Amino acid sequence: MVSMRRVAAVAAVSMVGLSAACSGTDSTSSAVPGAPKDNSVIAQAPVASAAEILPGSTMEKIKQRGELIVGGSLDAPLLSQQNPTTGEVEGFDADMGKALAKYIIGQPKVKIVNAASETREALLSNGTVDVVFQTYTITPERAEQVAFAGPYYSSGLTIAVKKGAAGIAKPEDLNGKTVIAGANTPAIAAIKQLAPQATIVTFGSDPECVQALKQDRGVAYVQDETLLVADAQKDPTIQVVGSPFTTDPYGIGLKHGDDQFKKFVNDWLTKIQGQGVWQQIWKGSLGTVVQGEAPTPPQIGSVPGS
Amino acid sequence: MSALLDHLPEFWQGLIVTLQLTAASFAGAAVMGLVIAALRVSPVPVLRGIGTAYVETLQNLPLLVLLVLAVFGLPEIGLQAGLQVTATVVIALYEGAYIAEALRSGVNAVSSGQGEAARALGLTFGQSLRHVVLPQALRTVIQPIGNIFIALTMNTSLAAAVGVVELTAAANRVNLLEAQPIPIFVGAGLAYAVIAACAGLVTGRLERRLAVVR
Repeated sequence: MVSMRRVAAVAAVSMVGLSAACSGTDSTSSAVPGAPKDNSVIAQAPVASAAEILPGSTMEKIKQRGELIVGGSLDAPLLSQQNPTTGEVEGFDADMGKALAKYIIGQPKVKIVNAASETREALLSNGTVDVVFQTYTITPERAEQVAFAGPYYSSGLTIAVKKGAAGIAKPEDLNGKTVIAGANTPAIAAIKQLAPQATIVTFGSDPECVQALKQDRGVAYVQDETLLVADAQKDPTIQVVGSPFTTDPYGIGLKHGDDQFKKFVNDWLTKIQGQGVWQQIWKGSLGTVVQGEAPTPPQIGSVPGS
Repeated sequence: MSALLDHLPEFWQGLIVTLQLTAASFAGAAVMGLVIAALRVSPVPVLRGIGTAYVETLQNLPLLVLLVLAVFGLPEIGLQAGLQVTATVVIALYEGAYIAEALRSGVNAVSSGQGEAARALGLTFGQSLRHVVLPQALRTVIQPIGNIFIALTMNTSLAAAVGVVELTAAANRVNLLEAQPIPIFVGAGLAYAVIAACAGLVTGRLERRLAVVR
């Protein structure tokens, strides 16, 4: 009995200690460096005037809910990745979502629903998410299912190989070889078009693709340039060859037929690009691995399907 | 619907890979299951221990973890095979544990008098297993093994995660182009359902035909 009591006492003491330790870490985590810096970009982002939130519109519904529901990723480095220490989702797409939430609601309140390439159209059409920010390339086929605001960013595919590998400089060189690509990325269709004799092997995530390249599962890895540049910087055994060979305009996925909301989002894009908020978001995310100033944002509505 | 019909060659190619994966890994799993079940009912404690350890390890790890480990981990220690071969072997080893357990339940269903009679006739352990116990055990577990076959068919879709372009991966790729997830995945689902229904029919017939009359 005595030992039982002692165990209970020890347990109680350690619980107190544990909760004290927990509250301690809580207070420090709010002062993590970097977090306030991010907020400062969003703090400069504009807020829509009351007149722009039309009664009965999608934006009014979002404002009343007090939260923007975004379909996105939690595992895309530089674009939309959850920081394991703070729990915040960081990156270009994530910050764009926060800026849009601030524009509608007044606060950057975002709930990210982890969408997959195969579920985005369904999530938008059944209203589970309000918008999709997920390197969503605008294509005429997709535009029949969803509406696209933007494009808000334009990227391109490029090729990475193991350092020192010879014979691959352009996409046509991939013919007859085994090529690695991310599952559900536009790379698959692009490789099929430019190098029809290439065998394509796909893996779910970017780290898996890099690992596969290093283990010679394929001679080259085709992926979005920004991602590959970041990979090559982290891992000196791979290198990027040539310059991007495609142009992938990323759009903001919206519910099909909601023209009012689409116009509203396009107006917001014009506004943040004019005020330099878009450029600052770029500098804080993709700009950390790509040299130089922020690129010129693509012309809104310039792509078939947008 | 056209999203499905325009891409029949891709689906067909994916279905063939799924069938290859299913057939090859089920064959492997059957052999593995037989060996492990024999170990688990053997009179030697060490062998029984090995059998138990195998079953507990394989059944308590998710198949996806095993696949990712085998595809990305084994090359680190110099063991590298093609993606489809690796996936086939992993699925075979994994499902082998389930088949072993099904077989063992069948062995336990054979009355102990049968084994005793076999020993009384002077049969060795191997002989009594081969001629007396296993034939009866197998007949009682046709349905459970049919269920494992169906589960194995569905589990081959996990190979998509490690780069094997089977039916699920093929459907993913077509959807990437067409952006019509509902018809495309319903189509792929129907193909799996047809395989499962065939397996169900075959096991049903086999069970009626081979039933042990007691």
